[in-house]
Amino acid sequence: MSGFTFSAEQEKEIENIFAKYPFKKSAMLPLLTLVQRAERRVSPEAMVAISKKMDCSPAYVQSVMSFYTMYHAEKVGKYMILFCINISCQLNGCDKLLEYTAKKLGIKVGETTPDEKFTLHREECLALCTEAPMMRINDTYYGDLTEQRIGQILDSLD
Amino acid sequence: MTQILFKNINMKDLHTMKVYEEQGGYRSLKKAFAQKPEEIVEAVKASGLRGRGGAGFPTGLKWSFLAKDVFPRYLCCNADESEPGTCKDRELMLKNPHMLIEGMILCAYACRIETGYIYLRGEFHDLNFIMEKALEDAYAKGYLGKNILGSGFNLDIYTHLGAGAYICGEESALLNSLEGERGEPRMKPPFPAVEGLYAKPTVVNNVETLCVVPYIVNEGAEKYASLGTEKSKGTKLVSVSGHVKKPGNYEVVLGTPIREIIYDLAGGIRDGNKLKAFIPGGSSVPMLPADQVDVSYDYESLAAAGTMLGSGAMIVIDDSVNIVETTLRLISFYMHESCGKCTPCREGTRWLYQIVEKIMQNKGQLDYIEKMEDICDNMNMKAFCPLADACVSPVVSSIKYFRSDYEEYFKNVPVGSV
Amino acid sequence: MSDNEVTLTIDGKSVTVPKGTKVVDAAKRIDVEIPVFCYHEKIGPLGCCRMCLVEVEKMPKLMTACTMDVAPDMVVKTTTDKVVKGQKGVLEFTLLNHPLDCPVCDKGGECPLQDNTFKYGAPDTRMEFHRANNAKATPLSPVITIDRERCIACQRCTAYSERIEQDSALVMLNRGFHNEVGTFNNEPYNTRFSGNVIDICPVGALTNTEFRFKARTWDLTNTETLCAHCGCNCNITMGTRLNEFMRIEARPNDAVDDGWICDKGRWGHNFMHSKNKITTARENSVGDGKPTSFPVLPHNCTIEDAAGKVAQAFKKIAEEHGPESVGFIGSPYGTNEENYLYQKFFRHGLGSNNIDHKSYQDTPGLPVSHYGVEQVETSNVVLLIASDPTEELPILDLRIKKAVTACGTRLVSLNDQKIALDRYSSQSLQYKVGCEAQAIDTLTHGLARELGEPAPAKDADQSGISAEDMKSLVETVRTSMKICVVYNPSALSGEAVFGVKRLLKMIAKVPTMECGAIPAAPMTNALGAMDMGLLPDFYPGGLSMSDQEEIKKQWGEKAPTGTGLSALEMIARAEKGELKALLVHRSNPVMDFPGGLRVTEALKKLDLLVVHDMLETETAKLANLVLPSNGPGYDEGTTTNIGGRVQARKKALETTQAPDWKIINLMLNVLGDETNYRRVSDVTEEIACRVPGYQEISKRSVGKTGCNREPISSADESVSDKSVQAGKGKDGSLRLRIATFLFAHDKILDASSKLAHHFQPSTAHFNEKDAARLGIQDGNTVLLSAENINLEAIARVDNRCQSGGVVVPRVSDEQGVNGLIGADGGTAWVQVRKV
Repeated sequence: MSGFTFSAEQEKEIENIFAKYPFKKSAMLPLLTLVQRAERRVSPEAMVAISKKMDCSPAYVQSVMSFYTMYHAEKVGKYMILFCINISCQLNGCDKLLEYTAKKLGIKVGETTPDEKFTLHREECLALCTEAPMMRINDTYYGDLTEQRIGQILDSLD
Repeated sequence: MTQILFKNINMKDLHTMKVYEEQGGYRSLKKAFAQKPEEIVEAVKASGLRGRGGAGFPTGLKWSFLAKDVFPRYLCCNADESEPGTCKDRELMLKNPHMLIEGMILCAYACRIETGYIYLRGEFHDLNFIMEKALEDAYAKGYLGKNILGSGFNLDIYTHLGAGAYICGEESALLNSLEGERGEPRMKPPFPAVEGLYAKPTVVNNVETLCVVPYIVNEGAEKYASLGTEKSKGTKLVSVSGHVKKPGNYEVVLGTPIREIIYDLAGGIRDGNKLKAFIPGGSSVPMLPADQVDVSYDYESLAAAGTMLGSGAMIVIDDSVNIVETTLRLISFYMHESCGKCTPCREGTRWLYQIVEKIMQNKGQLDYIEKMEDICDNMNMKAFCPLADACVSPVVSSIKYFRSDYEEYFKNVPVGSV
Repeated sequence: MSDNEVTLTIDGKSVTVPKGTKVVDAAKRIDVEIPVFCYHEKIGPLGCCRMCLVEVEKMPKLMTACTMDVAPDMVVKTTTDKVVKGQKGVLEFTLLNHPLDCPVCDKGGECPLQDNTFKYGAPDTRMEFHRANNAKATPLSPVITIDRERCIACQRCTAYSERIEQDSALVMLNRGFHNEVGTFNNEPYNTRFSGNVIDICPVGALTNTEFRFKARTWDLTNTETLCAHCGCNCNITMGTRLNEFMRIEARPNDAVDDGWICDKGRWGHNFMHSKNKITTARENSVGDGKPTSFPVLPHNCTIEDAAGKVAQAFKKIAEEHGPESVGFIGSPYGTNEENYLYQKFFRHGLGSNNIDHKSYQDTPGLPVSHYGVEQVETSNVVLLIASDPTEELPILDLRIKKAVTACGTRLVSLNDQKIALDRYSSQSLQYKVGCEAQAIDTLTHGLARELGEPAPAKDADQSGISAEDMKSLVETVRTSMKICVVYNPSALSGEAVFGVKRLLKMIAKVPTMECGAIPAAPMTNALGAMDMGLLPDFYPGGLSMSDQEEIKKQWGEKAPTGTGLSALEMIARAEKGELKALLVHRSNPVMDFPGGLRVTEALKKLDLLVVHDMLETETAKLANLVLPSNGPGYDEGTTTNIGGRVQARKKALETTQAPDWKIINLMLNVLGDETNYRRVSDVTEEIACRVPGYQEISKRSVGKTGCNREPISSADESVSDKSVQAGKGKDGSLRLRIATFLFAHDKILDASSKLAHHFQPSTAHFNEKDAARLGIQDGNTVLLSAENINLEAIARVDNRCQSGGVVVPRVSDEQGVNGLIGADGGTAWVQVRKV
């Protein structure tokens, strides 16, 4: 299986990653993260490329990859919305806000908008309980959500 | 109230080396390097500090369990803050990253460790930047690297991001994850202190725990031990969330009455509602009903009340809620986060979910409660790791204190539907 | 009681076991059964299934007996109310989403889940919701079916893949309730040892596709027999029903297979019912009207009649042309009994020592201990010489991996090609193709110099191994304390095998050294064939031709004492018309011997060629007369594995066809030998009486798990003038190394084989230097020529060997790669060009 190669820049980054650990195997999550962030998914081809770097079987890469929720087999949108639905957010009305968000995006929870801009996922506690309800879009945390605030945030993203 | 961790927490630019040093940051290092490593371990033991991640194991004791004369050893800071209701470590690292680094340096020196990792949950990508910048500054200042401050002591610290798995907060699962494996917990023994990261002796400590160490070194174990109760020393960060007027992270001296935390610090119940229940230590500990609000917030009092201090997350629930809804949400969480390795957890969480879901659809049968209790008994303390026990906590405690909430659903069961 | 033992109490019974024993294994010793699903002694603890909960005094919660080491004075209880409730609870969880399709499940009757539920479970279930609907039977590979609904996620199979086979091809995917066993991207699970997951699956999730719905397990007749593919002789159980083959399973024997078998052993059985099986005696029509001294067989003649005529014909030719005019090429695949009787027929009956079974050089006996396979685990160093266990002796591959990863053994190898086990070795030295003798001598001399033994001051080693690397190898060997040398005599060219024996002698001189060797020829019974005297220069038991007195004493005054012809020499004599009659037993010189077309031509010149084989072969086509051999599945007897262990191969299937030993017995009778063996064990008994080393071997001593034969005395290897020096190749030609490939498409694994998906195209592996010189790129089609034979192959530029050589794995009969080697058996030089 071919079709995936690391860019020169990524190769450099991979070297830096390997340098952090006395054993190569620890680089598994960082490499998967590198791919996920670049490709918005981890394709089988990428898993093969990672397995070669890691000197392990591609099945092993997939085994690890499929354990963690931040890696996706299917491509996700440009903006990955993780909407917390755990207890503190639930107590603060996240369910309705999630429904609102889905409606605003015109998709169901778990789906990606046709233009691949947004993916909306239900997420377990993200550790911003004191500002519940909250969501995380890509690397940014947004707390104290209201319908109005969600609208503003989504509109501000291009 | 005495503030140790949150003393300057909202000070502008506290996260910078300059401001942190102005506030006395990193001054503990010289003091520490003047002592033998064992003395630091003894001081931490004497301080009575207990792990702030959830298990509450005495920190100094944990350090002293490291396999003798086996090197290299590793330090892993558990920054996989994922326990529902808990967000104190995030605030600490976001606003005061150097405090963690200073604590890690002290721990590493005390335990003769030369490599440390900060295992951040994958979603804390923003914190990773902050921690990396802080580490870079600490290297630049000579607080990290070779021969730190001329002491001959070397230490490298790296950050490592997880990728979305609650179970990686369990220390052995964290080590597996850090080694590039699935985050399934490991068999114990061997404990990490004997065979941890890369099968070498390893200290795994929570962010908050490590952040306390500079204070103990600077001010002395006695001063720290003078705070709190007999068995619960010092202060604790409490993340108060849910139906309170002023949710937030608060630092309290252990032994503070819960009433004070909910009503004084967090401003009480909002919207004119009444307190119904609270979960004092994150979702994995049994909830307590409102009438226990005068229990004092410390390890032994909470244990006596049948619950635990856990990670220090106070989830406050008012009387507008039917507890079954909350319970279902928590079961759903544990079902989602069960690694699937062992049978009772993998199967039990899902079965409980199916039952409670059925109850909420008004399709429950009267013997469901009894059955749930029995399932919980079959899960409790029989799984590979404590995740199953954690799932059992809200179920058993909700039945214990709020059986009537379940019965609400049975009242509405249509005649002849079951 | 030693310091390494622990005494504890289980259910009131005291038991003393070695430290580190798991409670569950300690319990077994005193017949206390603790139920398990995930625990497997060979795989190690997992702690997944939680079935083995027990109560341990002073411990607040129930403990899993499979993860817990025994401790002094530990008090374990396995039947308390608390335990019973725990077990019931775990079983209920286990069965929660397990379909109740036992009536149609192949595991039925031998299912731990059924058994444990029967013994420890509740009579009914409280589960009233939808069970998970996971995928029912889907192919995990062409030979394994996975039923994910039945899977209880115990992780035995994936742990096997990780810890035993160590390739992590089968893994747990996803998390939590969505956990499932799978492969990368749903690709087939096609490893060399994949089938073992069927044996260890505690439920009916992983099943043998060919056995699905064929029979209920309790209706099977299970024969405890041996695999007949390679020299490991793994123990298997062959299940049959109404004399029809059903399946093969592993039958654990720690001294041989450690509980595992390879996929060839499990599924490579189609030859037993191949359409090419020879079932009757027949006379081939001789088209070119060449004279034959063989009488025409009557129509429908019995095998027995045919055998009698064969004996008469050989007798006649031997009488007319002298005993040296007849010869026998026996088989490293035949049983000891067959081999013994055939050598008796030729030596005793016809007075000829023209007896052999191979086309390479070797002699019986070792100058050091003959190690059993299990000794690999207890050796500090394993030195592989010209051996590629992964392809040649698969179970040895698993044993070496285990030794390296779990027993602290160091692996070092000397080979002319890269092998799969290199990733486990601390040092892999590659000599140039054909230069093994030099490389081995350099190692021997290096050791000799360290030991102050006579040796040349310096070696002008042209083998391509640097002096530095060799020095390091010498050091590893010298300081090993306990070393096991595994060498493949059939992969050594010229007289290199004697170099190995000199090396062994030298290693044995290192003070306090424990040294043993395993002669690891890949063929089923290569060792037995040597032991039984299928050699031109040795009587059975390594009795050298030079020891005439002993020969006469043992075998009578008339016993021939002149060194006979080797197999290659017989072919050469046949070519000259000097050899008149040849009997070939379960061997196919046309395909397997060097010499290419010349072998065919030589055999055609014989007055009489008799082939006694189980399958039609190229050689059988040339024969005047063909006799059927029963072969594995139908035959019985003993074989001697690479570790010197003699075990019983039993017949699982009945046939009306006379067994080989009976046919040879009849032939002996025709020559006047009056011995009448009633059963094969009578032959075994005679072997015990007459073959040194086999005194202790009997049906009884061999039993179910075998018995090691005593070491065979070693002949002096220092002199051998039989070596064939490889000539210089023409300019630009490359030295050929034929490598073994486990799943070669040959007579045994024919086109209808269950393992056809493993067949590989013909490839030639080059060093990049040669490839560059020849303008060859990876993927090009190339033509290799020698001896007027051309072989087409896909080029692989993977540095599998040093420059100057080319490695061609023998992937099929069609490829005919052995034809590239000259008839003298030396190293082949091949011309290579891009097509």
